[in-house]
Amino acid sequence: MRAAIGLALLVLMAVELRSSGTVHQIRQDRVLPRIGPAPEFTLTSQDGEKFALANLRGKVVAVTFIYTSCTSTCPVLTPMMSFVQDQLGADFGAKIAFVSITVDPERDTPEVLKEYAQAFGANLAGWSFVTGSSEAIQDVRRRYGVFALKAANGNVDHTFLTSIVDRRGILRVQYVGVGFDLNEFRRDLLSVLQEP
Amino acid sequence: MSGLQNRRGFLATVSSVCAAGLIGSAKSFAQEAPPETTTLRLAKIKGICIAPQYVAEELLRAEGFTDIRYVVMESGVPLSRSLGRGEIDFSANYALAHVVAIDAGEPITVVGGEHLGCFELFASGRIRSVTDLKGKNVGVPSLGSSPHLFLSAIVAYVGLDPLKDIHWVVTSSIKPMDLYADGKIDAFLGFPPEPQQLRAHNIGKVILNSALDRPWSQYLCCMLAAHRDFVRKHPIATKRALRAIIKATDFCVNAPTRVAQQMVEGDFTTQYDYALQMLKEIPYRRWREFDPEDTIRFYSLRLREAGVIKSSPDKIIADGTDWRLFKELKSELKG
Repeated sequence: MRAAIGLALLVLMAVELRSSGTVHQIRQDRVLPRIGPAPEFTLTSQDGEKFALANLRGKVVAVTFIYTSCTSTCPVLTPMMSFVQDQLGADFGAKIAFVSITVDPERDTPEVLKEYAQAFGANLAGWSFVTGSSEAIQDVRRRYGVFALKAANGNVDHTFLTSIVDRRGILRVQYVGVGFDLNEFRRDLLSVLQEP
Repeated sequence: MSGLQNRRGFLATVSSVCAAGLIGSAKSFAQEAPPETTTLRLAKIKGICIAPQYVAEELLRAEGFTDIRYVVMESGVPLSRSLGRGEIDFSANYALAHVVAIDAGEPITVVGGEHLGCFELFASGRIRSVTDLKGKNVGVPSLGSSPHLFLSAIVAYVGLDPLKDIHWVVTSSIKPMDLYADGKIDAFLGFPPEPQQLRAHNIGKVILNSALDRPWSQYLCCMLAAHRDFVRKHPIATKRALRAIIKATDFCVNAPTRVAQQMVEGDFTTQYDYALQMLKEIPYRRWREFDPEDTIRFYSLRLREAGVIKSSPDKIIADGTDWRLFKELKSELKG
């Protein structure tokens, strides 16, 4: 995991430079679309407790999919989220929450997820790492539109999708991949938070 | 190929995934209205650059499609004509082929962009630019084929007359790539997996790479289209199919080895290494950077100046495009 974190830090530095660069085109959509009710789920948190998306109603939530032994792209996404977490200041936890759902529930037990969260500096007051049965995870990722296939070597190839859910539980936007603009992501979280 | 999972294991995985998709299809993505039809027929061609639709099956099932079929056909203009005849419902194809079909009156609607950078122009050592092709032997599978149309547009763009200035070499029995590799023609336009195949054997020189060289790199190469009636009668299904295939482009970016493997297992190609190389070379992640209408306008202009089509770009756009769903998706799917 240490090597993965090292790689992630390098990538994050590049991402941060990209985000603050003047060349980057900043898209400013006024109001995010309302795609529909966000798929609900009840899974298990890193503390081994029942965790339901519905319990976060009233907060803006970013839902993403990762797995802890991923050595390629997940170690990029989680530090990106961690970077935004730090930028959100007091709003994080109180008004904005992150949920990272594993796509490898066989290996990602609550204990493993907790260690992963700590390694990436996640503030668990506002960021939950959740797991569940294979069937439950498959159902959730399918309803969010995430494709995942486990290989014989244990790696899980999956699409990367980060979804913003508003305070009323409506899915507002999804970010495909890990190359998205962190400033735009943060701005979208805050714009949804400021809606009446 | 050593990294390939065995076929039985792969099919078992896919079957379980698909079964789950079927079981849960009533509660599809974000609980939008379900698609108006659960059947979707897509093209299966020799060209492998349309990989996203080859690996989108689970995502399509998650969108509510339960009967997904791949219909074998020829790529390029024949594919667009098959769409027009209703033999398939939805597919990616070369933008230029869609334009030719729309000009011919085929009832198709281009609904979105997928990727750029499919084709590369290979030429012999003494040829340095497209203008050097004047008077040279250029191989194409047939007159009117996609490579011929693309090349006509390319040479017309630099002021050459595709009818007079190029000596087209047409052979039905030998592929232009083989003629080029044997030194029997001066140039040919390669589409995946041909460029990857030549590079693997260190053969040839590229004088135009559509992923890198302007103006071609500023426009999409492959775009998604459906039969006009399919879009009109099934707008939700169209949007869902579009979303699944666009999401699958991310899988091509993040898991190219798995996608190449899946293409082999699904019998979309036999050449794992070339498929993998192609997936690494084509910039699938850039689908949202380009305005699809700009691409249709660009190719309409090029084909018109090459004398291939008669319609104006505005007429092509009015008759054969509808970007509303793609625009919605662009605002819903950032990246």
